Amino acid sequence: MISDNASFYKKDILPVTTFAVVLLTMPFWFRYIGGYSGLDTKIVIWIIFAIGFDILLGYMGFLSFGHAAFFGTSAYFTGLMLLHYSNNILPAITVGVISAIIMAFIIGFLTLKRTGIYFSILTLAFGEMLHSMVLSTLQDWTGGDNGLTGLPTPMLFDIKMQGDNVFYLTVIVAIVMYYIARRIIGSPFGLMLKAIKSNQVRLEYTGVHVARYKLMGFVISAVYAGVAGALMIVYEPYVASEFMGWHLSGQVVIMTVLGGVGTLFGPMLGAAFMLYFENVVSVYLGAQWLLVLGAIFMATVIFLPGGFVEAGSRIKKALTGGGK
Amino acid sequence: MSDQAYFSCRDLHAYYGESYIVQGISFEVAEGEILALLGRNGAGKTTTLSAIARMQDPQVKQGSITLAGQDLTAMKPYEAARAGVQLVPEDRRIIPGITVEENLIIAQISEPKGWDLERIYNHFPRLRERRKQEGVTLSGGEQQMLAVARALARDIKILLLDEPYEGLAPVIVKEIEGIVREIKELGITTIIVEQNAVAALKLADKAIIMESGEIVYSGSAKEVLESKALREEYLAI
Repeated sequence: MISDNASFYKKDILPVTTFAVVLLTMPFWFRYIGGYSGLDTKIVIWIIFAIGFDILLGYMGFLSFGHAAFFGTSAYFTGLMLLHYSNNILPAITVGVISAIIMAFIIGFLTLKRTGIYFSILTLAFGEMLHSMVLSTLQDWTGGDNGLTGLPTPMLFDIKMQGDNVFYLTVIVAIVMYYIARRIIGSPFGLMLKAIKSNQVRLEYTGVHVARYKLMGFVISAVYAGVAGALMIVYEPYVASEFMGWHLSGQVVIMTVLGGVGTLFGPMLGAAFMLYFENVVSVYLGAQWLLVLGAIFMATVIFLPGGFVEAGSRIKKALTGGGK
Repeated sequence: MSDQAYFSCRDLHAYYGESYIVQGISFEVAEGEILALLGRNGAGKTTTLSAIARMQDPQVKQGSITLAGQDLTAMKPYEAARAGVQLVPEDRRIIPGITVEENLIIAQISEPKGWDLERIYNHFPRLRERRKQEGVTLSGGEQQMLAVARALARDIKILLLDEPYEGLAPVIVKEIEGIVREIKELGITTIIVEQNAVAALKLADKAIIMESGEIVYSGSAKEVLESKALREEYLAI
């Protein structure tokens, strides 16, 4: 273990550096493939969300259909902080992420006792419960259907958080969080998550308090969702009620599956692809774009269960002459 | 029975749902002793071991289990494991999807730790060869070896071996026998369940024979080996 630590670092340097370079240079090349500034920021935010989702689905093996609950809770609290406390993003993001963590402890505690489809349904139910609370019971605070409007321009002390500033902030956060995710996956805790995925009962007999580790995995995943939700408000100071809705939960599932579950890299690719498709390619496809996306999704699930990552490794195999 | 036994089961009644399997058994094991738990198929041997390891099934509805002064009766599986109980079940319970080495590392995540990897590999060179291989792709004998090694990776107080020779080739049986003998030399308190009893009896200090959920014989292992009548009546060997 200890002797492997050095290679852990080495193993992480190349992917993380590549990731950093690709994201940091995005403003220079993205427009040549039809992208525009703003969309790049959104892609990076969704990448953070997808990384966290993959830790839960790909490594721990739990499919949540209610991850919008954490994205949304954090978004609302970030928005409320900006509106009522200070336009500085630091306290706003901190409170936003903490609110997502608290929510994850509550929902995780109540749902993780079940596995498989029952877990998925429970998370969906909790997500929708929060969504409807936002629209009804809590509408004096949340603005109901209109969302939370009238937020001030977010500031990082004296820096206005607009345009490139937001982009580079999200990129830095994404790089750090990607690195952390890789370290988590490579650690004994990551090994534990894999063992939970393959057999919880067996793990329990080696003296592991499985329930506690499941909750930790769930909360970590929610932190990523929370960070993404908070950054979304920094990017666009308006909290839409959809941030809490099942549509958003479904989107992150589709991204992760499209890209390749349990690869970290795949879901990031899936997130980028989905947003690019939705905002750039859809212009050429007109109203049918959702239909095409659906077809792509089905084809992926049927022919490439490992997502884009599997496609990549198959192409690589074909190019190297079908050898090993 | 004395109060200070290292391990003891007292008036244990265990159920699988409605079916009443273990019907009030009491026995104890002294520290460092090997107990052979014998009997025909369906006598309740495995159920007894599962109850001791505090598996979700069977349910213990009456009686108590104590180990080195701790009451295991109300513990959860992971708590019993931390208290020092290690079950090596018939199916060996290797965790799929991870390597041999990872199976061993996982066993050491929660305290208390036992042997380190180096010591394990020195005792089981085969596992060192296969450390990067997925645990469930090992042969039956190697999986058994891994299961025992994983138990030793934790600081155990009592080892429960459920039919360690089941379904293995004679050569491998020899190897496992060697491992069990080593366990004995290390002074690890062990309960070994066997249907084909001779191998177990040769190693054990004491023997218990179960029939229909009750203990019908309790004495020294040697006595069972030497008594034709006992063996014919209860063990069919």
